[in-house]
Order: sequence, then C-alpha cells, then structure tokens
Amino acid sequence: MGFVLLAVPALAVLLFSLVKSRPMQYTVSVTASALMLIAAAWITRQVLLFGTVTYPAAGGFIYIDALSALVVDIVAVIGLMTSIYSIGYLEEEYRHGKVDAGRFRLYYILMYTFIFTMMLALTVRNIGIMWIAIEATTLASTFLVGFHNGKDAVEAAWKYIIICSVGIAIALLGIIFLQLSSIDVLKSSQYLDWTALYSHASVLNSSALRLAFIFILIGFGTKAGLAPMHTWLPDAHSQAPSPISALLSGVLLNCAMYGIIRTVAIVNRSFGNSTFTGRILIGAGVLSILAATLFILTQKDYKRLLAYSSIEHMGIIAIAFGIFTPLSIFGGLLHMVNHSFTKSMLFLSSGNVLQKYQTKEISHIRGMLKVLPVTGTVFLLGLFAIAGTPPFSVFASEFVIITSIFEKHNFFVGMLVILLLAIIFTGIALTMFKMFYGKNTAPAVEPGELNIPGVVAVAALLVIITVTGLFIPNEMKTLLNMAEKIIIGG
Amino acid sequence: MSSYLDILSVLLLLSSFVLMANKRIKSHIRTFRFQSAMIALAAGILGVNSLIHEGRVDLLVVCAVIIAIKVIYIPRLLHRVYANVEYKVEKDFFLNIPILILGCCMIVVFTYFALSKTDGINTGTENMRVVNSVSLILIGLFFMISRKKAIGQIVGFLVIENGIFVTAMFATQGMPFIVDMGMFVDLLSAVMILGIMVFKINEKFDSIDINKLKNLRG
Repeated sequence: MGFVLLAVPALAVLLFSLVKSRPMQYTVSVTASALMLIAAAWITRQVLLFGTVTYPAAGGFIYIDALSALVVDIVAVIGLMTSIYSIGYLEEEYRHGKVDAGRFRLYYILMYTFIFTMMLALTVRNIGIMWIAIEATTLASTFLVGFHNGKDAVEAAWKYIIICSVGIAIALLGIIFLQLSSIDVLKSSQYLDWTALYSHASVLNSSALRLAFIFILIGFGTKAGLAPMHTWLPDAHSQAPSPISALLSGVLLNCAMYGIIRTVAIVNRSFGNSTFTGRILIGAGVLSILAATLFILTQKDYKRLLAYSSIEHMGIIAIAFGIFTPLSIFGGLLHMVNHSFTKSMLFLSSGNVLQKYQTKEISHIRGMLKVLPVTGTVFLLGLFAIAGTPPFSVFASEFVIITSIFEKHNFFVGMLVILLLAIIFTGIALTMFKMFYGKNTAPAVEPGELNIPGVVAVAALLVIITVTGLFIPNEMKTLLNMAEKIIIGG
Repeated sequence: MSSYLDILSVLLLLSSFVLMANKRIKSHIRTFRFQSAMIALAAGILGVNSLIHEGRVDLLVVCAVIIAIKVIYIPRLLHRVYANVEYKVEKDFFLNIPILILGCCMIVVFTYFALSKTDGINTGTENMRVVNSVSLILIGLFFMISRKKAIGQIVGFLVIENGIFVTAMFATQGMPFIVDMGMFVDLLSAVMILGIMVFKINEKFDSIDINKLKNLRG
C-alpha cells in the first residue's frame, strides 16, 4: 500500500494530461485524493499494528513509521478537502473567465505533482531523497503560487522559488555534514539512512553533527517559515489561489518540519540531551512568534494575516520540539495536526470570501455574516480556533505545549509565549472581526454562497477541529504516542 | 591525484572571485561554464580513481551528467533567456567591484576560522578543500545579493549548487548515486522554471531588474 500512496498521484498527473473535459477532471481529482486517503488510512492501521511499514522492494526504499504516517494522514485529509473545494473554486473562476481549459489542466497537473512530491518526502528512508522531494515541492508549486499571473503573483513566485531553493540548498549542505559525521561508522549502502543514523547516533562525529543540525535547521526552517527566513511565506500564501494556500500552509510547512524533527531526534540522541538543539529551536520559535505578532497587529490583508499566523504556529511547534520532553513532543505533534486542519479551513474560507468580494483588503469587507452565512460563520469560528479559544483543538495542543514549557521550569519562555499569544488574539480580533459585522456597502456583492462543494469541505473541517478539540480518538492518541517514542527514543 | 584535486579546488575558488568581478551577464555565464567544467574534471579524476581501485563507474556517470547539464545545456539556456529579454540597467551591482572582492576575501577567512575549529574535518588537505568549497557556497550567496538582475541571481544559485556539490565530493567522496542524480533532475527543472519566471518578470515589469519587485510588503 505504500507504493499506492505514490502511484495514485503519479497516475493522476498522467490522467490530467489526457483528460480534457472539466467534469472528468473533477472526477479524477476527487477519486485520486479519496484513494490516497484510503491508502493512508490503511497504512496508518498497519503502523498501529506493526510499528513500521517497509517493503523489501527497491532496497527498502520506502519506510513509514508512526511519525511519517501522522504527516501522511494530514496530507491525505487536507488533499481530499482541497480537491473537493477546488471544484467550486475553479468553476467560479471559470465563470468569470479568469482561467481557461489549458490552465485548468496546468492547475491539476501541478497540484498533484505537488502532492506526489510531499508524499515522496514523507515515505522514503533516505534523507537525501527526502531532500530531493522537498526541493521538488518548491518547483512544483512555483507556478501554482504565480497562477493568477498578475504582477504581484509573479513577484511572489519569484521570491518563493529563489528564497526556498537557496534555503533548501543550505539544508543539503547540512545533509552532507550529516553524512560526514557518519562516514567512519556506517557502510556506504547505509549512508543518509534515517534508521541507520538513528541507531548509530551515539557514535556519530559530534562536531560535524552540530554543523549539520544548524544548516538543516536553516534550510528546512526556510521552507517551514521560521523567522527570520520566513519572508517568502506571506507573499506566496497570499498570492496563491486559496486551495493552494491551504495546501502550502496546512501541509507543506509540516513536511519541512518533519525533516527538522527527524534531524533533532538524531542529534539529541547523539548528544544525550537537548541543550544544543533546544536553545536554537526555542530561539527560532520565539522569534517567529514575535515577528508574526508585529505583522498581525498591523495587517490590512486577511490572507497575509493568516499567513503570518502560520509563522506563529510553526514557531510554537519549534518551541515544543526545543523543549523536548515527552509531553511537549506530544503537544507539538498534536499541534501540527490541529494547525493544519484549522489553517486550511481558514484559507479555504478566505477563498470563498475573496471570490465574493473580489478584494483581499480587510477594510473593504463588511457584513460577511449576512452575505456569506455559512462561510462567514466558519471563518469567524475558525479565527477563534486559530487564536487558541476552547473548545477547538488548537487550544488543547497549545495548552499542552505551554504546560510542558513550565514543567521544564522555563518560566521566561513560557511567560513570553503566553503574552505574545494574548497579543495575537487581540490583534486578530481587532483587525479581522470588523469584516463580519456592519452593513455591506459594496453594491456588486449579493448575499449567497458561490462555492457549494467548498462550503461542504470547510464545514467538514470545522466538525473535525471541534470534535478533536473535545476528545482525541484512541487511534490518534496511540499514533501520537508512537511518534513521540520514535523521536525521544526509549 | 590529490595534488590535481588541490589545484582544482583552489581554481574553483578563484573562479568565484572572477565571477564576482565580472560586469556583464554574458561573462557571468561564461565563468559559470568554466567553473562547471572544472568540477566535471574533478569528478572525472575521482571517477577514474574509483574505477581503477574499486571498479565503480558511478562517479564517471556523474562527470558525464555534469558536462551535459552544467557545461553545455544550462549555459546555453541562460544565453537564450538573456538574448530574449531586453533591458538596460546602467549599473548592475550595489557595491563596486573592489569592495565585493574584499568581501569575498573576508568570506574565505571567516570560513577558514569557522571550519578549523571543527574537528573531524580538519585533517590536512581535506580540510583546505572543504574550506574552499564552503567559501564557494558563501560567495555564491554573496553574489546573489550583490546583483540586481534576475539572471545574476540564477547564476548565484547555480554557483551555490556547484559549491555544495564540490563539498559533497571532497568531504564525503560523493553522496549516494541516486541522490546525485535526483539533485541534477531538480537543478535542471529549477533552472528551466527560473528561466520561464525571468520571461514573466520581464513581461510584467518591463525589465529584469529585481529591485522593482517591491509591491508585496508588510
């Protein structure tokens, strides 16, 4: 089934280059992502039963454990939601004559190439191939970011590809040092193998490992949107079509984070403690939250605000892995899941808003609850959720992370994070809540939802985040615990 | 063999200085081609060595791929992109060339001090080669921020990629073969996409001066 995960999006790309009619494209897209979700669920079951999933074929090329299964599940769920949402979104763009048949095909081909590369990054054993896949995610999504082809979109796409490619290149340097640290220890067939590096962690060359960690953190941190390498993120997320923003923010950032987490696990196991990685990760995390706070307070564009909020949440996750206690890792992984669902829901709803009002300016939007009753409600609740209000799931994971910070007696960091989160809550409330009330003044905007499949997708995501906020299903808890064991060892 | 590699490693570093001193885009591309040819030569030397001693051919394949992609195809592609975008920028760089060269020297000194503190890679000549190639990466980064034209940034990116490849070759005797090949595929598609993006920038902004890309802020 591991190969199915890769074969389905690859086949979908082939099919999209053949299929011409729009209904067929929609069918292929939804079928492919539904199949991927089924495959992911099957693999998760296997992982829950046996711990890891590997196949002897191709020299054990594929390796899936609880940590990768967790992120694969996120990709699969968000992938399905986006493909359902895309139907209504593209139909509406088509009605306005913004996209023609050729660009439909380009959109779907690139979207599934993007999903394929992410799946590849998550399911391979070799860190070098993971690097190739992550670089390929940038390449696949560049034209998606620049899909609207305006001045701003081209600028965002250029910044995206240049900053991310250079960042990722630096991660490759880190990977070279990782190989260097293991050169006397491993056989040449085991080079850059996660499992081999992890099991031989204690005998790796520590100074090369230090360099490796710093370079990998900078490299994948660029892709994950950690400050101060985050500058591409608000541009790309705000200029991309909304379903793509949802994929970028909900899934891609997690894939990059996954690379960092794997490295942290190796380095900490090798050093026997988390002091070295912890300091750097906590520093980067706090800086990310701080940068996000400043920009959220003064934001005029709602999609950029959501993008900065992604930076904030990546910062929180980085802090969680910097603290490196079982509780904080559990919280960090849970936060990855919760942030993905909540943020993709918000980006998808923002797409409905954008198509209705045709503007990204917060000040031009009023009375959203009347104009878009369902999307407006979901958006409003989603903003509460992302700011960390109970009963939604983000609250639960943030609470766990902050508890773990205090349990490690890191009072200064804990206070700072709580303070900044409070300011962000205020910032979101101040800038965004104006959009929902008041009287709609734009004459061209008539009440009524445009994107019916999209509304279904966002409503489903709202249900997911509310339910997981109230209780975590047993299977998910087991999976999280297994992933936590993989990271922390023991 | 090792003395040839030492010479090549120093020449690679020098080529990055030359690149920094180049004023025109055409000479950027030419220097890049020269640099890639030297990397191909180094890979060839190591490849012949590993063929004789261990009977492995993968480094020779890598050498052939470098010649095909980095020496022939990418420079030609860049020349074509350059020929198709019209622009006139009076002064391409932010700082003047002597200061840029001085900056490069400081980068090399900095790399030397940073890496000489790291044990495990400071074993004689190996270390000097790693210092040279890591400096190459940093000079590539410096080159990217010192030029205003989009093609200059692409060349800078390619130099970084070259530097990383050389570091891998000298420090670790090469990455696993499949990783090397994947890197080349990525690099090739990256350059193609960047080329298309240059056309788009030229179309939307009437120039390939990336200083004009300043709409998105805050």
